[in-house]
Formats: sequence, structure tokens, C-alpha cells
Amino acid sequence: MLKKRLIIVLTFLDGVLFRTKNFIPDYRYTKNFIDLWSIDELILIDISKKKFNKEFLDVVFYFSNNCFVPISVGGGIKKLDDADAFFKSGADKIILGTNSIKENDIIKQISTKYGNQSIIQSIDCKKISSNNSEYTVMLNSGTQDFGKDPLTCALEALSYGAGEMLINSIDNDGSLLGYDLELISLLSKKLDCPTLALGGAGNWQHILDLFEKTNISAACTQNIFHFTEESISSLKKFLKENNIQIRK
Amino acid sequence: MKLGIIDLETGNLGSLKSAINKLNIKHRICKKKFDFEGIDRIILPGVGAFGDFMEKLEKSDLKNLLIDKIQKKVPILGICVGFQVLFSESYEHGVNKGLNIIKGQLKNLKDENLNIKVPHVGWNECKLLKDCKLFYGIKDYSDFYFTHSYFVKNFDEKIVISETEYGTKIVSVINQENIYGVQFHPEKSQLNGLQVLKNFNERC
Repeated sequence: MLKKRLIIVLTFLDGVLFRTKNFIPDYRYTKNFIDLWSIDELILIDISKKKFNKEFLDVVFYFSNNCFVPISVGGGIKKLDDADAFFKSGADKIILGTNSIKENDIIKQISTKYGNQSIIQSIDCKKISSNNSEYTVMLNSGTQDFGKDPLTCALEALSYGAGEMLINSIDNDGSLLGYDLELISLLSKKLDCPTLALGGAGNWQHILDLFEKTNISAACTQNIFHFTEESISSLKKFLKENNIQIRK
Repeated sequence: MKLGIIDLETGNLGSLKSAINKLNIKHRICKKKFDFEGIDRIILPGVGAFGDFMEKLEKSDLKNLLIDKIQKKVPILGICVGFQVLFSESYEHGVNKGLNIIKGQLKNLKDENLNIKVPHVGWNECKLLKDCKLFYGIKDYSDFYFTHSYFVKNFDEKIVISETEYGTKIVSVINQENIYGVQFHPEKSQLNGLQVLKNFNERC
């Protein structure tokens, strides 16, 4: 049986690990804080101004040499060459964001060369108003309203060759109040590709809720493992006790 | 004794190389005929599309060399698309002929109406049907990392070492004499995966 996946998302500024939201650099943890033997997958995102900088590519190379789990890499991919740079540094998959939502053709170019399974399309979603369940897609780190609904964007990305869909809730991001289960159910029910949820996990119960109440394929977390002292193995134990199928 | 890793430049070999390095296995990256001097064990890794992969294999003149090596009983391990091309043909982007060393066809999971998400991505179990040197020291139902949309149909049951449940029974490991193949990615499957690579180098 296919297991539910636990994915850690790490963001980097000029090759140094950053926590999202409050952006405090944390040099100690950059390369060695993760329990590399129990996480299922890693996502590395470059948030530097100058993309494809050596410092970040070195980070990708470091992780690909030291942990034998899939590594997905994103941050500023606009063209095939950009994807090549990440794959060459050791990425197994790449993450596309704003650029491929605006210009679907880039997805086709990358999937022809590397296959659908190598592309994760990330979609930043925001509730239009707090009293209904309509969402809009946001671009450029949540600063610009694209004016299309997430399902339409996701289906377009799939038709051009994306393999997985990363659903990010801008409203819940960094809140530590739990995932937006409404948004995630809405999308993961209608998409026939694997779906990954990001934004809002603040404790183990949130991750359990996500797996119990939606048919999501993977839970992504950004801050939870370094905000708390708890390790991934304690999360795995908790999920196992609650009958969620995860990797042994 | 030296291991050759075939590089057709269709995708990222970095993770396989680092896994092999981690195991301290002597190896050489093989891109041309000349590179196979002294190689007595071959890994055929595969990333990318079936047709593209076969085209590169033909263009690089390695197709006949590979068939020749296999006939001379050199142990070979196909990984993912490298596993798939061992079969007769694939229906990925039209019909593409494979190396046709093992009987079987690759069909898209999407066309089976299985009510599953495609591609099949993530950690899934290998149910062992038979003993195999490749799985020495690995427990039944161990988890491995999969990422693929196509699976083998119309194959000979005798070659199947393990199967994996995903809407249907997917052939995940095969062995026929000196030929070994795994649908999952051992280089991305942590300790179990490293053990498979170690076993291939030491026992197969």
C-alpha cells in the first residue's frame, strides 16, 4: 500500500537556511539539523534575489550527496536551462511556481526532457473572502492576484505535463493553526495526480487531521521541526498510533 | 571487478553516484563503447521518457553492446525506465520498442480505470514472491520509493521477484538469470535501497 508522505520544506537565502515569515537566519542548522534517515522527502527553495547562485546550488549538491531520499528544488525557474541547473546539482524533481502558471509552455519543455514525474507545480491559494469557500491563485510570493481559481490553474498545469500539485494556503501559511482542509479537499478530490499540502501545520494533530479528512498524498511542513524540539520520529510514532499508513 | 553505470544524459545521475560512493563501490560512468573496458557488472539507470531513452541508447551505439553483454551473462541491473526498457515495448507517447530481452509491455496506469492517482509516487511495499540475491537481508514488505506512470503487463510470471499493490499488482522486481530490474529507485530508498545496490554488486 502506498504510504502517506512527510516532506520538509527548507528555504534558503544566499545558501543559508531561513525560517519563513520572520526571516531569521539560522547558520547552525543550515546543513545538519534534519534527521535525514526518517524524513520521506525534502523540498529546497531558493528565496535569494539572485537566483541560481552558487551558494544555493552547493546546498542542493550537499543534500543530494548526503541523504538518499527524493529532493525537489524550486525558486525562480523560468526556462529549461534553469531546470537543467537544478537537475545537474542533484535535484530529483523541480518545483514550478508563478512563471509556469503564467506561461504553461515551460512545463511542456521540462516534462519532455525529464518526464512528468519530475515536475511539481506549486499553487499559492488565497480565500477571496472569509465567509465563502472561493479561492484565487496568487503570484509572485502572494503579492499579485492572478484572478483564476486554483482548480483551473492546476488542471492546466497537468495538461501541460506537471506530475504533482503542491497546494499552498497563503492564509494559513505560518499561522501554525492547521492546514486549510476545505481548500485541500476541494482540490485533491478533483485532481487525479498526487497532491501535496503546505501551510499551517503547527502540531502533530494538524497533520493527522490532514491525512484523516482529505485524500492528500503528502504533508509538507516548514517550521514545525525546528520551532519545536520534537523530532520526525515522534511524529511518525503518533501517526502510526492513529493508524495512518506511513513509511516504516 | 568493476561496476559500470550507463549515462545517457537523459536525467540526473547524481543521486545514484552518491549512493554508489556511499557504499565505497568502485565504478565508472559509461557513455561510449570505449568506457566498458574491464567492466563486468552494469547498472542501467533510467530517468525520463521511454522513447527518448531508447533513442539515446541507439544513438550512442550502446544498444547492441548492452545486448551482447547481457548474452555473455554480465550481471545487469535496470532501474525505473532502465528496468522498463528491458521489456518488449512501451505505450508511452505512441508505441516504442524496448530492448526486448524480457517479454512484456509497458502500459499507462491511467488507462486501467483503477481510481488511483497517477503517477504512482511515494513509498510503497515490495511483497516478495521468491528469494532473490538482490533482496538478501531485506525484509518482506519493505518500503521503497517509486515514481512512475507505466507498469508491466503481459509478462511471464516466472521472472517476478516482488509485486507492489497500487490499485492493481505492479511488478516491482524481476530476475531472469543475470538480468535484474527494479521499478523503484534504490538510490532514493535510504537503507533498503542501499542494501539492494550493495547486494547487486556483491551477490549477483
